[in-house]
Amino acid sequence: MGSCKSAATIAGALVVSLAGTTVAWSGAETETVVTTTTREAPVPSVSQEMLSGAAADTKNNLHTNLNYDQTRYYQGKQINKSNVGKLRPAWIFQTEVVESLETTPIVVDGVMYVTTSFNHVYAIDAKTGEQFWHYKHKMGPVTTYCCGPNNRGVAIYEDKVFMGTLDAKLVALDAKTGSLVWETEIADPELGYSETMAPTIVDGKVLIGTNGGEYGIRGFVRAYDTETGKLVWNFHTIPEDSVGVWATHDATGKDMHRDIAAEKAALKKLGDPYKTLGGGVWQNPAVDLKTKRIYFVVGNPSPDLDGSIRPGDNLYTDSLVAVDLNTGEYVCHFQYIAHDVWDLDAVSPPILVDVKDKDGKTVPGVIHGGKTGNVYIHNRDDCSLIRFSEAMVDQTGMWTLPTPEGAKMLPGANGGVEWSVMSVNPDLGLTYAVNLHQPMTYHVESSPYPGGKLWLGGAFKVIPGSDQFGNVTAVDYNTGKIKWQKKTPLPMMGGTLATAGGLVFTGEGDGWFRAYDAENGDVLWSFFAGAGVNAPATAYSVDGKEYIVVGAGGNTQIDFKRGNNIIAFTVD
Amino acid sequence: MLQVSRRAACAALLFGWTLFAGASSAEEFNLEEKVKLCATCHGADGVPINKQTPVIWGQNEGYFYLQLRDFKRGMRKNPLMEPIAAQFEKKDMYALAAYFNKKKWPNLGQPSAPAKVAAKAESAIKSIGCRGCHLDHFQGDGSTARLAGQSQEYLLATMLAFRDGSRGNNPGMSNLMSATPEDDFEALSQYLSGLQIDQYLGHGR
Repeated sequence: MGSCKSAATIAGALVVSLAGTTVAWSGAETETVVTTTTREAPVPSVSQEMLSGAAADTKNNLHTNLNYDQTRYYQGKQINKSNVGKLRPAWIFQTEVVESLETTPIVVDGVMYVTTSFNHVYAIDAKTGEQFWHYKHKMGPVTTYCCGPNNRGVAIYEDKVFMGTLDAKLVALDAKTGSLVWETEIADPELGYSETMAPTIVDGKVLIGTNGGEYGIRGFVRAYDTETGKLVWNFHTIPEDSVGVWATHDATGKDMHRDIAAEKAALKKLGDPYKTLGGGVWQNPAVDLKTKRIYFVVGNPSPDLDGSIRPGDNLYTDSLVAVDLNTGEYVCHFQYIAHDVWDLDAVSPPILVDVKDKDGKTVPGVIHGGKTGNVYIHNRDDCSLIRFSEAMVDQTGMWTLPTPEGAKMLPGANGGVEWSVMSVNPDLGLTYAVNLHQPMTYHVESSPYPGGKLWLGGAFKVIPGSDQFGNVTAVDYNTGKIKWQKKTPLPMMGGTLATAGGLVFTGEGDGWFRAYDAENGDVLWSFFAGAGVNAPATAYSVDGKEYIVVGAGGNTQIDFKRGNNIIAFTVD
Repeated sequence: MLQVSRRAACAALLFGWTLFAGASSAEEFNLEEKVKLCATCHGADGVPINKQTPVIWGQNEGYFYLQLRDFKRGMRKNPLMEPIAAQFEKKDMYALAAYFNKKKWPNLGQPSAPAKVAAKAESAIKSIGCRGCHLDHFQGDGSTARLAGQSQEYLLATMLAFRDGSRGNNPGMSNLMSATPEDDFEALSQYLSGLQIDQYLGHGR
């Protein structure tokens, strides 16, 4: 179907070679993939020490969320409140794919690795925007994915970059040439599995979850060997006993109006629904290097809106979960919404940060921005909830049960925070979230498991003509109070970057990319990118000069204007 | 009447083909032969012989495969297609899907929807988020159908069939169609069938 022209010509085509590469790790089948190499990229050598020290590394961006704690806090101060007004584009790279961009570029020694929808990867010169190579994944015929053909980026280790694909594979590429080193099938896309998240690399393992909560999968987080692509461990996000404690109230104490008697009767009749209960993991885990634990959040149960055929709390859907990094063994969990029938699940990646506990003592914490519109602050030891923030969005009617005719409740099923990444400024004790206000009606209609097809158990409908908007919100995670909030004309999706220069960067669906004052939310700089800026920004430096980079490709899920630009900004 | 007689002719031709193909079903799959069988109704030039029959030239590969699979499994009901698909192995279905995916989508010459109709359709589309799966230009991808430029009559009948459950191989679609006012379907079918996207379509796959 592709009718695109090679982007290699943009860079002047110094050397163009088509490298036919035999796949080394794909079971019985071998296939050929094509990488267009304009010129070879300098060979990176990313060590575990570099990955572990990424938080203080202002030259490279080695993680999708900047560091293992996932603070998205860039420690460079060259671009700051005093000069951000002079920020201007340094270069613009146009990919050949005009479709939703949710990617965060990875940068190593002046080379940027950036992905697009449909699993293209580009290596480009981070100083000039010129192309080194372009890898186009040979997609299998069956792809089953919700919310757009997105990809959120690569991970890097030693001399390889790693990417999950829409057809549920994991690939390792040679960072120098873009040629395929190995490929392994994670799961069967015909059963609803797909990959859009960026992997996380730690201790020679590639950590990756799965999408599929809209298709009746059984979710997981897995570790694969970085050298061979072989499975190291698997953690099922849905345990065989998924029933739980029959919780009647959510994490904030609101009554969820569950009919526990009916659910118990259904459990007796139907048994535990764990095999098709969903529980996708859309985003990177945070890694606690001291305790060798990882923390991630688990998405909604399947089918999304129909609880009648999945009795119980549906563990560990809509939960924060910690597992052992070395073995994948369960450590602890905290469920925000038991037996969710609104798809207001947990998607935004958790952040590790020291927080004040209820007694005012500083403890290792973990925070998460919910689709509910609350930020949840936990104790890292046992996943327990310390506090939750004030609501960042209107929650009128929460939790009104879905009906066949449709019942209105806020927030709509996109949140809240959605998948958008939060950032932290540890000096200010603030986390920065973006939110949607998108009124919807929730409809329920029961149907049996359809074998990998879309399985919503109803529908969420945006109310035609309703007022929609968004906001950027700073939350004090030591008190739960909202420090500042700025309304935006459109619902927000993408996420934030915080910097030691006292700035917060985030984009909007109409094409505006802005820098906010981290302390009070004043808009200090804006740039119109021409398409929705719905990818999270990041920062790096080359030859001592700092850059901010962001993708402007719009968004499929909420239908913001598509584009294909990766834009790097700097000040002179 | 013309349509009825064409449908009857299609069924009669297929009956003959099916007997013929059935006799050789144990033998090796012959792509050329099966393509001719498909052309009986779906058109030798990609234009189906009647408006109730969908365009399959240029249709997305995963979607095409899954429909054949579902006809074979009886999850999608159609008295003509079920016995045909019953002959196919998985690899045969993939071969047909790949073959037709590479063909150029035909222009059925359906008009663009008037502005008022388009606005009504867009409102319905935004309400249930059709583009979330069928993508920006309704080109679809992978396991999701292309809708742009599909036969209006087929689109309308399909949406209504999802709605009343007579097409039962995608409950998610049934849910979404149930949540859409019946009054919107005519506008949706006019709008989607009139989209001409092949001049600028390119999604990098």
